[in-house]
Amino acid sequence: MGRVEGSLVVCGQCGLAHRWQPLLEASQARCTRCDAVLARAHRLSIEGILALTLAAAAAYLVAISSPLMSLSLRGGAETATLPQAISIAWQNDQQLIAILAGITALLAPAAFIGLRLYVLIPLAAGNKAPGFAWCVRALHQAARWNMVEVFTVGVLLSLVRLAGLADTSPEPGLFALGAMTALFAAIESAGLKHLWWHVQ
Amino acid sequence: MSTEGDEGTGVYLGCESCGLVSHDVTGDDPTLVQHCSRCGHVLHATKPFSLQRTWACIVAAAVLYVPANTLPVMETTSALQHDEHTLLGGIHELWLDGSWGLAIIVFIASIAVPVLKIAVLALLAWTVRFNPDWRRLERARLYRLIETVGHWSMLDVYVVVLLAATVRFGPLASVSTGAGLLSFAAVVVLTLLATWSFDPRLIWRDPPAPPNPPDGRRLA
Repeated sequence: MGRVEGSLVVCGQCGLAHRWQPLLEASQARCTRCDAVLARAHRLSIEGILALTLAAAAAYLVAISSPLMSLSLRGGAETATLPQAISIAWQNDQQLIAILAGITALLAPAAFIGLRLYVLIPLAAGNKAPGFAWCVRALHQAARWNMVEVFTVGVLLSLVRLAGLADTSPEPGLFALGAMTALFAAIESAGLKHLWWHVQ
Repeated sequence: MSTEGDEGTGVYLGCESCGLVSHDVTGDDPTLVQHCSRCGHVLHATKPFSLQRTWACIVAAAVLYVPANTLPVMETTSALQHDEHTLLGGIHELWLDGSWGLAIIVFIASIAVPVLKIAVLALLAWTVRFNPDWRRLERARLYRLIETVGHWSMLDVYVVVLLAATVRFGPLASVSTGAGLLSFAAVVVLTLLATWSFDPRLIWRDPPAPPNPPDGRRLA
């Protein structure tokens, strides 16, 4: 399933209308005026995206429940999970920072995965979930606020910065974050607009 | 891919949410609101109040950039001393420690990206109004660049939050967040909002025809 040949597609970056022509495999269509990518060929199937999203959901559960890194200094040891790091920021009277980190590293990824599953599971069976249009709009927002990849690099950077001070080691949560980053990139490459092509 | 004749912009509206293309039926009447016939999302030829919102966020971000850089973002306590670290100070320490790679990464994420965003958005918003014909393609590419790299400036916020969460050994060694971190986080969020407020379609809009009333009428 895909776009109908000869239908119109408008460049989201500059607003120019184009006539749609089928793409060669692994190629991409660019706007003739502003050079922005209009569409990519070789999209994932609904089942393919669903499988990636399920894998991302598993990685997310590991990432928020296990420690990201541990630090030991003269016999004492500290580990931190993502929710712990946020609650410590809250307790240190940095509520706004805690809210921002909570939205970008915890809530937006959860919405990114949860809303996709809610929309994709019925869609794989050919059904449209109630509130489909609202969910797709919310998914656009979730993708904007999701900063899992930045957070992952943040954990790596913290590990390196602490290496001179004490014994540090990466923990399972960090690997789960790395897996999430890769899965999110693969899921996002399919975009969101194509979801509508599968709705009757 | 062929361009749709000379009709180009304005006649067709593409839905930002589902991609369906509709005819623009509002004309130039700003009081009418058109919704996508498939998904119900609001359709705009350009985002309403795009430039006003962009300028408001840029100015606020530029003002907060001062405390973000002068106040400490992180405070460290060790057995011997209590230190306060500003953004640039932290980068300088990394550089002195010999972690040049890290210093460069943090410099790009915390200093270069926010400054680049504020400067580029100010340039884009200014040229839309006063120099619309100037290097449109390059301006469109600049916008896409800051849209892509924008959220990386959150890096230092995460690092300080993580350090404060793991280095908790009381008077022996501990890290806590500083007052500047909130200003810096606000700069990051405001520059993101400014980027999303700016409508890149404005770059391609033709300048409004110069007001040229028939002779004498203006004076009358």
